[in-house]
Amino acid sequence: MGFVRLIVFGFVGLSILYLVISIYSRSLRREKLEKEFDADHPGHVDPDARDAYVEQGIVAYNSSIRPKLIALVYVVPTIVIAAIIYMINET
Amino acid sequence: MHRIKIAFRVIVFLFMWVVLHYALPQHDIVRVVNTYQERQDLNDWTRIFWARPDDQSATIINRDVQFIQTVKKKTFLLGFVQRDVTEVMVYRNEDTGWSWPFYFKFDTASLQTEADDLRSTPESPKWAVITHYGWRNEYISAFPNAIAIRPVAGPDVTIIPWFNIFFFVVLMGAIVFVRALWQQFRERTVDPLIDSAGHRVDEVQAGVAERRGRMTRWMDTWRNKK
Repeated sequence: MGFVRLIVFGFVGLSILYLVISIYSRSLRREKLEKEFDADHPGHVDPDARDAYVEQGIVAYNSSIRPKLIALVYVVPTIVIAAIIYMINET
Repeated sequence: MHRIKIAFRVIVFLFMWVVLHYALPQHDIVRVVNTYQERQDLNDWTRIFWARPDDQSATIINRDVQFIQTVKKKTFLLGFVQRDVTEVMVYRNEDTGWSWPFYFKFDTASLQTEADDLRSTPESPKWAVITHYGWRNEYISAFPNAIAIRPVAGPDVTIIPWFNIFFFVVLMGAIVFVRALWQQFRERTVDPLIDSAGHRVDEVQAGVAERRGRMTRWMDTWRNKK
């Protein structure tokens, strides 16, 4: 039961972390795209073109490897826990 | 308000310090004198100083616990400065299982055997490093929980607390990350909302000002006719 409890609470906690990091990472990318567009088009520009550019960049981001790397928040703690179990109990 | 803020921060910091001081691993240079096993009552508040090796132990009111009796080198400053004096120290030896604190210790019996193997006398001492967490308190019979033991050549070894270094680096990283996260959230989500709300207030005020301006101008048309 202790094991199940750890798995359940760990999964919930890491899922919250996963969501937060996903949102944060996408927000950073969106800001970067907006700044890129503004740097390339100085002066007054068409907001529709800007939105299209940003949306296109976000779609490219979604299909890239970066958002998939966020799944490491599940992998790394699992490896750390396995390493701790091994180091504590093997003599 | 400023003082309340400071007091709040001090309390949070102290609480964190206490929890980490209890739960993080510390290393002692010891000489094992003896080991024993004793029935312990677990049905009062000092229960929090005993481990919970498995689920049935959560409700059980007494059980046998293994102990390791040692002579320990005293230290200053959380073990960073070694001293030439010794004191006696008794460790409990309990599984922590899958629960807090997360040492995932299941090898209590093996550890007890290792400790037995390292028993020595003052005349021909065998020194060892014990990794433990927890506090010793004679008045409430609290004992630190031994996690691992390894023999060392002499009592003057240097111990590098790798896990704690790693832990505090990760903790710093986590704090920096949460700050960055919060700043991004404010910049991208909260500030635009406040801006647009502020903008609306500005518009309303500008509208009021314009209407008043019209009113005044109209009044002025009367005044100017002297």
